[in-house]
Amino acid sequence: MSLSWGFAACCLIAFVGSATAQDETYGQDYAFEDRAPRTPLEKLVAQKLPSLVKIHGASGLSTIDPYATGVIVSAQGHILTLDLIMIQKDQTRVVLHDGSVYHAKLYPSDRKLGVRLLKIDAGEKKLTPLVPSTRTDWSHGTFVVSLGNSFRLAEFSEKISATFGVITARARTGLRYRMSDVDYAGELLITDAPNNPGQYGGGLFTLRGEWIGLNTRIMESKETNTQISAAIPTADVAPYIDHLVRGIRAPAEEASDEPERAVFHGISLFDHGGRQSPPAYVERVARNSPARKTGLRPDDLIVRLDEYPVRSCAEFRKVMRRFAPDQVVEVTFKRGTRVLRKSMKLEEAPE
Amino acid sequence: MRWSLLWLSVAVSCGGSLAAQAPTDEFLHLEPVLQAAIRKVTPSVVTIETFGGTRRLLAGGGSAVPDDAPSGPGEKPPEKKPPEKKPDEEKKDEKLPPLQQAGFLQAQGSTTGVVLTSDGWIAVSRFALNYDPSTILVTTADGKSYHARRGGEDTSRGLALVKIDAQDLIVPEFVPPDAARVGQWTFVLGRTFGQEEPSVHMGILSAVGRLFGRALQTDAYTSPANYGGPMIDIQGRVLGISVPLSRSGRDAGAELYDSGIGFASTIADIMPLLSRMKAGETLHRGWLGVSTVTTYLGPGARLAQVAENSAAAAAGLERGDLILSVDTVDVRNSFHLQSLISSKMGGDPVHLKVGRKSGTVGITVFLKDLPESERQPQKPAEEAGVLPWEEEDKKK
Repeated sequence: MSLSWGFAACCLIAFVGSATAQDETYGQDYAFEDRAPRTPLEKLVAQKLPSLVKIHGASGLSTIDPYATGVIVSAQGHILTLDLIMIQKDQTRVVLHDGSVYHAKLYPSDRKLGVRLLKIDAGEKKLTPLVPSTRTDWSHGTFVVSLGNSFRLAEFSEKISATFGVITARARTGLRYRMSDVDYAGELLITDAPNNPGQYGGGLFTLRGEWIGLNTRIMESKETNTQISAAIPTADVAPYIDHLVRGIRAPAEEASDEPERAVFHGISLFDHGGRQSPPAYVERVARNSPARKTGLRPDDLIVRLDEYPVRSCAEFRKVMRRFAPDQVVEVTFKRGTRVLRKSMKLEEAPE
Repeated sequence: MRWSLLWLSVAVSCGGSLAAQAPTDEFLHLEPVLQAAIRKVTPSVVTIETFGGTRRLLAGGGSAVPDDAPSGPGEKPPEKKPPEKKPDEEKKDEKLPPLQQAGFLQAQGSTTGVVLTSDGWIAVSRFALNYDPSTILVTTADGKSYHARRGGEDTSRGLALVKIDAQDLIVPEFVPPDAARVGQWTFVLGRTFGQEEPSVHMGILSAVGRLFGRALQTDAYTSPANYGGPMIDIQGRVLGISVPLSRSGRDAGAELYDSGIGFASTIADIMPLLSRMKAGETLHRGWLGVSTVTTYLGPGARLAQVAENSAAAAAGLERGDLILSVDTVDVRNSFHLQSLISSKMGGDPVHLKVGRKSGTVGITVFLKDLPESERQPQKPAEEAGVLPWEEEDKKK
């Protein structure tokens, strides 16, 4: 009996002792000057920041921000960033984490990705390049840290800003930048770590320290008409880096999405050409056509071709341009109150 | 042996307290838990696609042009209207005014829904139905698509029901109202980007009982990307349905998406209203139809005016009456009265204790639906997902 009380007393003392021990050190740990990073999140940020640079470019236009961020990708001083208008020959300067400034040499950009490589000559200075991850299967809900010079808040040798969120989605989405459509075919890592002017060209990292994305400009998603924060997956930029830094040629380009031969499907849509393109109702199905062979009928409403949604006649035509003759397309359509799915083999349009 | 046990437990306690001082890696632990939560609720998160629509959404006051007007010289007007437009639907179109929304043009991408019953009742955001679509398609997590018909809606919660013909749909776990704690993790999921996994936005629960007891507030981004989708906790249980709601009513609430303020209709409040919405009813916030004397600070609320044709008038309330209690809750002041009444729905009965010169009387009032005229005159319409919150001192 008394033993168990003694045991309880010891536990209580130990517990109370530990609590007060923590209180004594609490204030010291939060002194203003840098304390050594302790948590994995703090260590991650501390480790990656020296590999990020501040980029300053040509100013003079009110619509462009003359500052951005970049990532060091080679020990010789290659830096990856976005292909921004402000990056001009003889006007681009790079500031390293220690505050030193260098002129940057420009490499040809990759137009499709919208990225550009720069190079500085840092002399004897040791640079810490980052290796881009080549994984493409990041799960939604993965925690990410975004590093970038938001709003140019970090001047000279001040530390670049860090913010936190999750991967919201890994997706392709129709994009708009400042009122014009953006033709970007690849997937983006959409996050809720907020993206701000200046953060472009910065990095997106997982908690385990993998560099997985290059922050893009702030764009609008056409699916939602709202702004999204996104990063280009590093797996997509790795070949560009390899090619220019290491001279490794990328494999031959895949065939583009626009085939040269026109397809014939035999579907005439009820498209009265009004101001807003109407839904894709079938008006007529041509005799001996792929659509007739598939069993499509007038008044069917086409809602999807393969995985692409078809919300209007205009969208039907746009999606159709992705396919080639002899390709088998899965047509999802609504007939009355049923939703059906049938395969249709496209033919080549006659001359 | 017992002594060694004692020393062992002391050693363990001390060791435990030392471990408590080591750096925490809560995010590394949280990540797989979050992903498990997402996987748990994913089977119940559906995609909503709408087609066609007879309402035009205008930005900032432009004129409404009918869809079938020729857009250029030499274009013929249509010979035949698209199918499925029944005569009574056309009549309905004539009554509805064009929607006006300042500066925000609603996109027609797909939106999100949550399975409420295994036989196919789905909760969607009222926002998704703004265009009054002629066709609604629901795609469940396993890739099957269904034609959906509209059920009823709750305009005070920005929610609508649709029904699909399905069996054995997977219903998520719903959280009881007392289980939500301010500061807990909340995640809002959506289907808009069309991936197999739903999209995720992360945040915390900022407040409960917002908008007169109807909604949970979060700083997770809510936007058309996830309106209609579930707000879940770290265990994958549904707390509420993400919807655009707004205190002021001046915008649709959808414009708050970048502000760190988002709302989700509390799921525990939705389920009791399900049978009325399944029957096709359109539910509105309850309306008493009185204004109070602002110089009277309580106890109770003194009536300044009773609106004609209001629920209050029908029950015999008069100018000068002092409302002492609502359903046995003592009314402290005018704000309290508004709070008590506004949390109710049109059709709900409220039992009031009213003080008059002649003595105290008990009056039962059947609240009416908040009328169109009370909702945002010259401001964006109710149908855009706006909640009609009146300014101070006006009719309750």
